[in-house]
Amino acid sequence: MGAIALGNLHDDRVLVTVFLRGGADGLALVPPVGDDGYHEARPRLGVSRSGALRLDGVFGLAPELAELHPWFLSGRLAVVHAVGLDEETRSHFVAQELVERGGPTASGGWIGRWLRARGGGGALGAVAAGTEVPDSLRGAPGATALGSLLDLAPGQEWSALCASVGALYARDAQLSTAARDALAAAGRLDSLRSAGVQPEHGARYPSRTDGALAHTFGEQLARVAWLIRRRVGLLAACVDLEGWDSHFAQETVVGPRMRALALGLSAFATDLGPQLAKVSVVVMSEFGRRVAENTSLGTDHGRGGVMLVLGGGTPGGMHCRWPGLTAGQLDGPGDLPVVHDYRDVLAAVLARHGAVPPSAVFPEHASQPLPV
Amino acid sequence: MGLSRRGVLVAGGAAVLSVAARGRFGRAAAAPAPVFAVPSATEVDWVEHVLGRCTFGVAPGDRERLLALAPRTEDATDRWIDQQLAPGPDDAPELTRRLGRLTSLGQPAGELYEWKPEVLLRELSSAAVLRAAGSRWQLREVMVDVWSDHFNIDASKGECAWLKPADDREVIRRHALGRFRDLLAASALSPAMLWYLDGRANRRASDAERPNENYARELLELHTLGVDGGYSQADVMEVARCLTGWTVRDRHRFGKARVEFEPALHDDGEKRVLGRRIGPGGGPADLEALLDLVAAHHSTARHVATRLCRRFIADVPPARAIDVVAAAFQASAGDISTTLRALFRNAEFRSPAVRRAKLKRPFHAVASALRSTGARTDGGAPLLELLRSMGQTPFQYPTPEGPPDVAGSWTGTMLWRWRLALALSRGELAGTSVDVAELTAGAGGLDGLAAHLLGRRPDAKERRALSAGSGPLAVLLASPGFQRC
Repeated sequence: MGAIALGNLHDDRVLVTVFLRGGADGLALVPPVGDDGYHEARPRLGVSRSGALRLDGVFGLAPELAELHPWFLSGRLAVVHAVGLDEETRSHFVAQELVERGGPTASGGWIGRWLRARGGGGALGAVAAGTEVPDSLRGAPGATALGSLLDLAPGQEWSALCASVGALYARDAQLSTAARDALAAAGRLDSLRSAGVQPEHGARYPSRTDGALAHTFGEQLARVAWLIRRRVGLLAACVDLEGWDSHFAQETVVGPRMRALALGLSAFATDLGPQLAKVSVVVMSEFGRRVAENTSLGTDHGRGGVMLVLGGGTPGGMHCRWPGLTAGQLDGPGDLPVVHDYRDVLAAVLARHGAVPPSAVFPEHASQPLPV
Repeated sequence: MGLSRRGVLVAGGAAVLSVAARGRFGRAAAAPAPVFAVPSATEVDWVEHVLGRCTFGVAPGDRERLLALAPRTEDATDRWIDQQLAPGPDDAPELTRRLGRLTSLGQPAGELYEWKPEVLLRELSSAAVLRAAGSRWQLREVMVDVWSDHFNIDASKGECAWLKPADDREVIRRHALGRFRDLLAASALSPAMLWYLDGRANRRASDAERPNENYARELLELHTLGVDGGYSQADVMEVARCLTGWTVRDRHRFGKARVEFEPALHDDGEKRVLGRRIGPGGGPADLEALLDLVAAHHSTARHVATRLCRRFIADVPPARAIDVVAAAFQASAGDISTTLRALFRNAEFRSPAVRRAKLKRPFHAVASALRSTGARTDGGAPLLELLRSMGQTPFQYPTPEGPPDVAGSWTGTMLWRWRLALALSRGELAGTSVDVAELTAGAGGLDGLAAHLLGRRPDAKERRALSAGSGPLAVLLASPGFQRC
């Protein structure tokens, strides 16, 4: 591929958000195995002290997330606990909207606001890996769903059209650069479609035998990694991992999703190689879940949850002012309180992605970025 | 005005109707299609320029209907503009039928709460696409677009999703060609605007309360004087005081969406706005005094004139045109039609240099692709999805200044314009179809089709490109010449 000037050749930092939809149980992802309250509240669903992969004296990583542990140990994965929304809602719809918007009255999505304030997004500046553009990208110029872009109008006619319009735009003073960008992006999408995605650095994304969920998630991450490596001008990408709403038989719901998350993310980080230092992955959800398990071996909607930050120059480590799980510390019907605002994690990450002040992205929140 | 009812009907699209009717009965290829007029010059002529700027795209038959209005071209464009500035009650039957299916559109503000917000937004967005593509009153639709930007409301904020349909109908559409002062007043007390810019929360029941300045600031900065219009922070605070007490009942209360003035929440002291005194004890009359003041301000005339000149003339509007248009606005006390007439008579608007030099924004690009191909469309999801990808979903621009009207903000959308071109010409957009053979025959062949879509005869390079494997219609719709108006 020739050296075609694209949006961010000189500034190839990329923000990737992974949204765990449905309210992911932070106490399952990152169990506080050193807190007795945890074992009392989760007698059947809990992970034993020795079953978890040690993060610090209190927290461990769920055994299903084993592939992420090395990234933590090498200081490239930060874990934040008791983090979430400052609003008391326990509705999926309301909470997801609030999180993606970045506040109750701010307009547009937080990534959309960030990209507009940042400027410079090209034809493929912001993508959703699935078939829908999430609310967090609202207002982003040129945000698109990669799935639908790949599905729409492939084939000879498209190539023929690109070839003939390319010639027509070549001498257009106003649009020639934009057209060249678009053609380069189209060409890369075409090769993505035809040649398929080829991971590098020995990365192995989940296969079909790892389950459809993990396979799809891995495929989406692989596409994003591929776009990053091909330097199409990507600034932000959104990937969803759905179905974390584990009211019933939690282990059958959360278990496979944690496997998908660990297999997908570790492959993604491997795939990027040294470029991971410039790619920030943020894993988030709309809320965590009730501390106590319910009688159907599940958990109900709660508040504080877990966020992960992988790569992009994070110092890594475990971050939490842990309130403890004794009854007096819990929120409302028995939920882990929100000690850290999710925007303080996002603001810390965005600070490494350009000079946009947090107030332009989160106008309603006085950000105090966490050291993640 | 001297406009006969027959004139309206002829102008309104009888020819489009007959084209559509043939398409419906599927005998397009066999029937000897009447050739509609296409431009014959190598440069964009005056008629194409007027049509290009005052419509969302030149539909088959638009040109000959305009030319039929008077023997002299100049008179014909004048007559056409006059007609467009005085829309009749009827619209194209096909459009009326389609809009009739969007049942939320006519609902009173309070009733809109019975609907799901996403349904309201979908129907309102589809209606915008359908009207832009299909209304015979195109200049009104263009001005609806202009004012929807000027008084931007993001329907995804607060209760705006329920309220924007009423704002669109009763504020923007009702006053689009009327008086700016009426438009401004309707907007100021629109339930959706009271939500969007927090006017409903602007109160001062005691000295300890500080008014919410959000609407006051945007009223001065965006809706009237403009950011350099000569107001101070003190003016913003005084304007906010004038507007305290105006609120709207939310969805949890009886009489939802009802706008009320609450005397107890109003700061009834004396105010000083832009050097003028508004006496104490005015109560709700403070609003009227304030709007009189800002609507008549010379900076407002310039601010509005600048927006209009940017939309109709060029991204960087010529200063002389702004002067003339602002003067017409001021002299007519903000009469929008009078102001537009002055703009269209202006030498800067008439200059050949500006013709087909303005990049269509995504909404315009989509509407004009539908309109100029005579597409049958339901204005449905695939089109809205394209608009979303291009960052111009109707009524969802997140910040109060509204979507920008300069090329630089939209050049990143080329890929989607080409996707649209190919998908539309190949009939791959569900709910939308084009009879390519009939359109081509109606234009008198490929050269005619090119002239119809480009506003002039194609050059040698364009003619060569028409033979590409993707088909001539796709190439023309994707070409740089079609991206501009």
